[in-house]
Amino acid sequence: MKSRPGLLALVTVVVILLLQTSAPTPAPAAARVFKIAVVSDVGGRGDLSFNDMAFKGGEDAERDFGVRMVELVSKVEADYVPNLTTAARDPDVQLVVGVGFLLSDALAQVAQRFPNKNFMGIDTFSQSIVKDKFPAKYPLPNLMDIVYEEHKGSALVGALGTLLAAQYNKPYIGGVFGIEIPVLWKFEIGYKWGARWATEWMLKNKPDKAFKYRSDFVLWTYTGTFSDIPKGYAAAKAMYAKDAVAVYNIAGPLGLGINQAVQEIARARGLRSGPPFWIGVDANQDWINPGFVIASMMKRVDKGVYFATKWVRDGTFRSLVKQHNGVVVLGIGTRVAGALAEGISVSTLADLDEFVQMGVNAERLTRKKVLPAPPAEIRARVKAMRDAQPAWVWQAVAELEKAIREGRVTVPLVLTKPDIEKWRNELGWTPEPKRRVS
Amino acid sequence: MRGRRRLPRPLIELTATIVAGLAAGALLVFAFGHDPIRAYRALFVGAFGSVQDVLETLAFATPLMLTALTFAVGVRAGLFNIGAEGQMYVGAVGAIAVAGLIPLPPGVHLAAATAAGMVAGGLWAVVPALLKVTRGVHEVISTIMTNWIAFYLSTYLALGFLTGAGRGDSTRPALPTARYPVLTEDATLTAVIFVAVAFCLAVYLYLWGTRAGYELRLAGENPEAARYAGVNAAGVTVMSFVIGGLAAGLAGASQIIGRPPAWALYATLGNVVTLGFDGIGVALVGRNHPLGGVLAAFLFGALAHGGRLMEYQAGVPSELVRALNGLIVMTLAVPELWTLLRRRFAR
Repeated sequence: MKSRPGLLALVTVVVILLLQTSAPTPAPAAARVFKIAVVSDVGGRGDLSFNDMAFKGGEDAERDFGVRMVELVSKVEADYVPNLTTAARDPDVQLVVGVGFLLSDALAQVAQRFPNKNFMGIDTFSQSIVKDKFPAKYPLPNLMDIVYEEHKGSALVGALGTLLAAQYNKPYIGGVFGIEIPVLWKFEIGYKWGARWATEWMLKNKPDKAFKYRSDFVLWTYTGTFSDIPKGYAAAKAMYAKDAVAVYNIAGPLGLGINQAVQEIARARGLRSGPPFWIGVDANQDWINPGFVIASMMKRVDKGVYFATKWVRDGTFRSLVKQHNGVVVLGIGTRVAGALAEGISVSTLADLDEFVQMGVNAERLTRKKVLPAPPAEIRARVKAMRDAQPAWVWQAVAELEKAIREGRVTVPLVLTKPDIEKWRNELGWTPEPKRRVS
Repeated sequence: MRGRRRLPRPLIELTATIVAGLAAGALLVFAFGHDPIRAYRALFVGAFGSVQDVLETLAFATPLMLTALTFAVGVRAGLFNIGAEGQMYVGAVGAIAVAGLIPLPPGVHLAAATAAGMVAGGLWAVVPALLKVTRGVHEVISTIMTNWIAFYLSTYLALGFLTGAGRGDSTRPALPTARYPVLTEDATLTAVIFVAVAFCLAVYLYLWGTRAGYELRLAGENPEAARYAGVNAAGVTVMSFVIGGLAAGLAGASQIIGRPPAWALYATLGNVVTLGFDGIGVALVGRNHPLGGVLAAFLFGALAHGGRLMEYQAGVPSELVRALNGLIVMTLAVPELWTLLRRRFAR
């Protein structure tokens, strides 16, 4: 009995030694390749969101710059540091990308250990962690956080929803939020501001459809969760019950709950296309329920990876880090080193195809059904839905985008408590009362 | 007596299962068009290729040796305790509550946070123990239920009371006075591993060196004889649950106050999730022995850490790496599973 663990140890050691001797470290390839490493968060490949977009950005960079992308999929949170480390230890890797804010701590730590490697985080706040923990080293010269102007994108879809409310003569638009953290205030106020902008635009350009902005026009609920899908369903259901024309998903997976609420109405009335609509977030979510997702507010993670690779290749990465204090913002009309570098857009038919392709790949990868219909049918239904909306709606949204890009209007960027209170007072204070849904 | 006759058996079994596991894994890798030799080489270099890799492997092994202990002590007492997962969650919450909210002098703080995690896990394990001894509820049912309760309770506490300023993704970090010292900047291993190994050792000494431990094992091996010898069956059940809960609580705490970079519990519980269930496999590979569990955890750590180089260098997709690890673990666990099942049906 007692000798068992001892024997186990002995055998383990013997096996290890045997395999150790036969395992020399492989010599690096003769020609120096330029590699970028993309470390995913635990969503991994096939998430049809941040990770897939990051890999796509890597593939675009491979195509345009002749670099090679290597992938490291994180299975658990404990993998973040070792994955970043593994990538950084590869002598050919020039840029290590961490996808998603969960990697912030890990990036801040690993970037310090490899000062001659470049690190970039998507949607991360690594530099502010460095500032808190190691003020002497702030900002790290080899670390870039890339963040996005969600408030501008939210303004565009807020306007879109409002124009549709006018078109279909509906009294409300809605927004379902996750946990009330300052990051989400950007979305909330952007969305409401866009709604108000659209009412003003119509007064000037479309008087027959115009109506005055009201403080209760945008229904909004903070569900307090980013994972409890039924809560998203309940919140959205209440909004559609009040005849909201579109509900914006600002709670990631809760979009599936919103979609459920839409599906119920669609089935009851035998609809093939909205209204009611919902609005996707982060990735292109138009494919989830073709005909009922009017558009998505996209954070172009792929662009972030693509630009960062380009900057490393051009040798401007570190001077840009210095110039921007370690945080580069991509949005609408944003410029980096004098050139336009944007990363926020309202989804189009072209990126729908890319995401449907990702869905096809994910199906192959997981052997699970992802897409609701064959690719051609999805495309046809989304196109039909878009064509069914009047041209002036899309024109107005394009006009707002142009005005933001040229700096003729400023979407408020809300990050602090006094700011959020001020803007809530201005754009409508009453949150949607939480109602029991039986 | 019986021990002497069975002495070479584990050795033969182990060698056979390792060979079988590696062979089956090689076939799997080969079937998907990858070079098994290259894949295994990457796996071993990844896990043991340098000092920092060995330390990282140990970091992955640390929580698993403890959750394996939870299951193993249960089996030794004739129980099927699969509650390590939930006990680990509440252990993590207990640790971060003390480590993050209560400023204490250095040293004391670390001990207090560790103790808080262990006590929380231990208390959580008392629930299924009492259900078992007072109402006869089978522990498999009750531990599955308490696991879920622990999951939602921990999420609620982490998000409702322990969040950091402006961060919705994780709790506030442990104060610097409540962190185990990092052994090297190159790996995420901290001094908490010594506590973990010491705990496993202590349980081993308890089981094989004390009267109470002997009674516990006797109750598991032969309940009839134990009753005849006057062993208090209810006491043994509660004891094995509590020891298991302490171990699982320490496992949870180890990931919060003994693992960089976050020193916090993620709101999704992502940095502790599944470690409890993984412990069952580790315990089976380690023959439900406290020290066997330490070695088996090392093997699991090697697979967890070495797998990333298999993906990175040999180009094996991460899903296949996971499948391969699962296959190796399964073949290694077969003998013990066989013994367990035989004992179950023999009754």
